[in-house]
Order: sequence, then structure tokens, then C-alpha cells
Amino acid sequence: MDRRILQSLVRSVLLFLLSIVLVAGFYFHSAFYSVGLYPLLLIGGFVTFLVILGARLILLGELPRGRPSGELTFGLEEGDRVQRQIVSLVVLPVEGRDVPVVGQAVRGRYETGIEFGRLLVVDVGRKFLSEITEEEAKRAGYRTVEELRAAGAVRFRWRPDDVVAVLGIRPLGVRA
Amino acid sequence: MILYSSLILLGIVADAWLLTLVALRIRRFWTKATFAALALSFIIMGGSYVGTAEGFLPASWEGVTLGALVLAHPLTAILVLSLIHGEVLPRRRPLIFLLLVPVPFLAALAPVGGWSLNVVYAANPLGGFLVLSMAIALAETIYARITSPLMAAESFWLSAGLVALLVAGPIYGYELQALSFPDSAGSNVATPIALGAFALVAFHGNPFPAAYPVARRRWRGEGALGDGLTFVFDETRPKYAGVIARSEAGRGRPVLILSRTSSAGTRTGGRPLEAALEPTRYAALRTLGTASEFVTRAPGSLVAIPELADLSAIAGWARTRDMLLRMRVLCRLAGSSLLLTTSRLTEAEREDLRGLKMPWWPLPDPADEIEAILARSFGTGAGRLLESFERAQHLARGQLTTAHVEALTAFLEQAVGELAVGAGDAKAVQGLRDQVSLASQALRAYAARNPADLSRGDWPSKESGPADREFLVRAADYWKGKEMEELFTTAQALSSRESLYDRAKAVFTEHLGDAGESLLRTELTKLGRTPADLGPADLSRLADRAAVDLAVMADVVDVPQERDRIAAAVESIRRRLATLGGDDL
Repeated sequence: MDRRILQSLVRSVLLFLLSIVLVAGFYFHSAFYSVGLYPLLLIGGFVTFLVILGARLILLGELPRGRPSGELTFGLEEGDRVQRQIVSLVVLPVEGRDVPVVGQAVRGRYETGIEFGRLLVVDVGRKFLSEITEEEAKRAGYRTVEELRAAGAVRFRWRPDDVVAVLGIRPLGVRA
Repeated sequence: MILYSSLILLGIVADAWLLTLVALRIRRFWTKATFAALALSFIIMGGSYVGTAEGFLPASWEGVTLGALVLAHPLTAILVLSLIHGEVLPRRRPLIFLLLVPVPFLAALAPVGGWSLNVVYAANPLGGFLVLSMAIALAETIYARITSPLMAAESFWLSAGLVALLVAGPIYGYELQALSFPDSAGSNVATPIALGAFALVAFHGNPFPAAYPVARRRWRGEGALGDGLTFVFDETRPKYAGVIARSEAGRGRPVLILSRTSSAGTRTGGRPLEAALEPTRYAALRTLGTASEFVTRAPGSLVAIPELADLSAIAGWARTRDMLLRMRVLCRLAGSSLLLTTSRLTEAEREDLRGLKMPWWPLPDPADEIEAILARSFGTGAGRLLESFERAQHLARGQLTTAHVEALTAFLEQAVGELAVGAGDAKAVQGLRDQVSLASQALRAYAARNPADLSRGDWPSKESGPADREFLVRAADYWKGKEMEELFTTAQALSSRESLYDRAKAVFTEHLGDAGESLLRTELTKLGRTPADLGPADLSRLADRAAVDLAVMADVVDVPQERDRIAAAVESIRRRLATLGGDDL
């Protein structure tokens, strides 16, 4: 069976089970819910809304990390290498931008704006650009540190004494 | 009732498992103590309930069930508040412990007042007390959710645990009636859920691994940093933070250094305890937990976070800031000091930190100041001299601190000494010796200055303006000229020679192959040395340590020939290192 149909089926079954639990709750707590129609509609409606919202987030795979916030932009080749986990490190200047923190899920986008996947930030550190090592440059997808610095100098206009964030990333499997 | 009792029994097993897990894995004594108290009261409550319900225990044990149930409510509130406030709870929310006072009276008065297990949540003083306890815990959790970025995520789990207890306690009666379980009063099937949620929060704030000291009296020695205050060292690289931490540890003060580059949990005599920051989502909470445990065990201590920027990068500034505010209170109450540096913080973070009104000490980069001091004697060649020294010591410019001053002066004296051997002009060499001697004195005087003194801003690099310095350099070059150039050349020749570390590495790899280098590095770490600052005096200690460790390895080898080979290698390494040390001494 097609994977998407199977996923859709499983999600529907889980939502149906949740609906049964909610109805059973209303039935057994009939005395508890004797607060009048309008308060019940408001309070009960709000609680049910929260339950369904929570279930939706769980079924969409967005919990426990929550919805992805922020994004990291890559060139076409670099983005592909991120997806194939050849690139596991991103070096970004820290001034004037929100750098994601550890555990944060972010959207990975090509420079063209198209989202190619979601990324989990597994490690972050700050360094002076001059302190970036060869090993880190290689993990970031560059042959040498000089190549990394040169690429960033064009893109970010950074200088050797600038502070940069070194982000360890891992693709999250959830595709847009 | 068998089914329900089985459920409760399963819950008791789960409670006991969680209690064991927390007791074994959590490093915070305060958290363990409050968790154990609540878990035990749940276990007693469940055990006596099952015993009386199934007839194993007499009906009089219902009093025990009631007592444990009543006790569990304030203990729940205390545990929840402990997880939010940590070790400062007795100082920040002391009134919470008053909840324990009515427990014996209410338990004793229960038979008189007719407050049986079935009406425990009814509208009577006992019911009111139980509801009040839970309400306090829930209110504090919601308050933490609203006000604390650090505890916002944790408050979800705390709320979940509390709601589980409420639903399975007072509210659960509806379901039990529907399932024909009318006698559930005095039990709560959600205790493992609640304890699980609380344990999760405890694990999120679990201190990083380290060899924490045993609890001791407050340290009352004379420290360079005042007690109960938070200091911010405004420096480009966290050099003085490390220097002062080691200096304080040398005075006998308990010192904890929290940084990414620390070797996890190491400590040697007279040196700071180091704990490595782990890059997790809960890094800020765990850092707070680490500092809390250390400061509680060693009041009057110093906690240094030289790489605050890394923590901000891992956990975000909002959480880091909240953590700092909590840590500041913790240190003030324990008479301890907190030391931070601004290195690699963004401008916005620096400004925000400045807004917290902590003692703020602007400090120079020792590398710049050392160069400025050398420039007074050696003019424009100071940079060349320093580069030669850095090359000889395998140091990057960013790693140079005042701790290297002695090595630098020795390097300069060695360079002059070598120059004197082949030089014909004794007068010129004597002039150079005097210059080196002057520079050494100035360097030592600078290294001896403490951060408080330096924070006033009178740094060597500021003593003469750029124009003056240019003039000074030209004058120096004019009358010393040739001798100076020879000194620089000699220094460069010295730097190109093999370092002590390289020579020691050659000994290790010769006997042990590639593994020799990693063994050497391990032994250096144990000695608290780096390849750059390995000195001749360290070689005998290094030889002894390596001999002991390798002998242990040899002992576990069963093949006699191999054991003999390792023993011979051990002896040879020891002898060669001793010779190496003697050569250089």
C-alpha cells in the first residue's frame, strides 16, 4: 500500500479513537459537566479544541520538538549535500541574526526559497572565524578553511576577528 | 477489586523504580531528598490501601493510608517548588514548609472529625488543606510558565504531573464508579505518571558529571573576588577568568569552571573542579543544577563560566539570562562568587548583561599587553619575538596568557645566551641582556597585576600613544640596530627547534606506536598540562605516571612474553623521559 495512504489511514484511526474517548468522557462526566449550556459550550469547547490541537500536532510529527521555527538557507548543491548528510555543520555570523539553538527544528531552504526539508540543530558553539579548524571546514562542505572563509566573505562580508556560530545539524526526515 | 489493586500494585512497582532511578542517577541531593520523600509516601499510601482492600492488613491501617495521603499533598507541593527553585527554596519560599505543620494534627483529628478516606476531598478542613496544597503547586507552576524562560518548558511537565494526580484523585471517582470501583478512596493510580513527570524535570536539570566535593563548611579565606557577588570580566577571550579561577583554587578556595572545553569532571589537588557543558536542549538548566549542587556543597566557593557565549548559543540568551539571575541569587545566599566573561557575546547580549548591574571589569588581552611591553625594549621587533615564542610553544596568539610570562622570559634569556656564545661584541650582548632583563621585570610585574587592578584601565598598551611608540621604536632600532636583529634571528632559530612535547612524543611513539601519542596526551591531561606548557620539571612526574598506568596495563596481559615486553617498554620510556628532563634542566 502506498506509504502516504497508510499514514493517512493510521492518523484517521487515531483521531477516531480520540473522538470516542472524548464522547465517553462527556458521558461519564455528565454530572461534572452540569454547569449550564453556555459555560459548557465555552469551557468544554476550549478544552476539546486544545485536545484536538494537541492530537493534530502529535500526528503531524511536530511534537515533542514543536513546529519548526526559523530557517537555514543553502545553495542548491550545498542543500543537497545537507540532505545526504555529507554536510553536517553550518557556520554563520552571529551579529544581527537569530541563530537557532540546540534542539530547535528549522526549515532548510534553497536560496531560491524552496523548502527542501527540516533540520534539527544538534550542537551550537561560538568561535572567532580565525579559530575555525580544517576539520570543521570539511564538515561544513569546504575543502579548506580558506575556502570556507572566502565563501563567507562573499556571502556574509565577514572578517577574521568576527564571531561566528558553528551549528551541528541533522536532517529530520519530515519533508515539506 | 483484584484488578484495581493490581493496578495500584503495578503503580507501586513503578514508583519504586522511579525512586531508585532518581536516587542512582540524579546528582542533586536536594532534588533526590524531596523526590524520595514524596515517592515513599506514595508507596506507603498504595501499599496500605492494597493491604486493607485485599484483607492482608487490618482495617486500622486505613489510618496509615490516610496519613500517607495527607502527607503526600504538601510533599507534592514542596517537590514541585523544589524543582522550580532548586536549593534556594528554603530561602525564597520558606512558607511552603509550613504546609507540613498541619499534617500530624489533621491525621490525628481525622477520626474525631469523621474525615474518612471516602470524604477526604469533601468540604471540610482536611479537604481544604489538600486542595490548598495542590493549588499552591499548580499556581507556582503556572507562575513559572509565565515568568521564567528557563522553566517554561519544564512547567508543562510539572503541570501534567499535577493534573494527573488531580484527575486520578478527586476527579477520577466518576470513571471508577462507571467501572464499578466504588472504594478507590485512598489510592491514586496516577502516582507513577506524576512521579515520572517530576523525574523528567529532575533529569532535565541534572548536574553535569563532575567529582563534586563532599559537603563542607563555608570557605572563609581571603579571595581576589568578593563573596556573594557576580563579576563580569569584559575580555575578548576568556583569559583572565581562567587565570583568576586557578589563582583562587591555589588559595584553597573551592572553584568550579563550567565550559565546553573542560575535561568532564576532572580535578586535581589545588586545581579547579571542571565540568563540561554538554550541548543539550537543557544545557542552561543543567548548568544551573551543576552550580547549585557545587555551591550547596561548598559555600563560599567560586563558580566560573568563562564561555557564557557558548551557553547562550546552545540554550538561547533568554534562558541563559534567566539562569544567570537565578545563579546570582544562589551565589549570594551561599556567600559564593560567580564569574562570567563577555567573550564572544553579541552586542545585544553584552548590553543586556550590562543592564543587570553586576560588577563589570574591562580587561585587556594579555597577548597585546605582552607585545606592548616587549615593544618598549625591542621596538618593532617585539611582534617577531612573540611570534617566535608562540611557534616554539605551539601556541596560537589567542592562547597566550600571563601564565606564559615565565616561559617567555626564559625563552628571551635563552636567546640572548645563545647569541652570547658566538658573539664577539661582549658589550653589545651585555646591552641586550639588560634589555631582556628590563623586559622580563616589566612582564613579571604585569603578570602579577590582578584583574581588579587592571580593570582601572592603565594598561601597558595605553601608556604611550601610537605616535610616541613609533618614535620609541625608531630610536631603539637606531642605536641597537644590528644586535637586535641578531637577537630576533636567534629567537627564530630557537623556535624552529623541536619542542619538549615533540621529543616526549617521539619517545612514546617509538615504544608504543601511534597509541603512544594519545597516551601521552592522556597523561598530560591528568597532570593538568598542555603540550605548549610542558616543562622539563614535568617530565619526571610524567614518567612516573606513565610507568604506573602502563604497569597496570601490563598486569592484565596473560601472555608472559608480551607482559615482559610491555614492562621493558615501560622502563625504557621512564628512563628516556628522565634523561630528557635532565637534559633540559
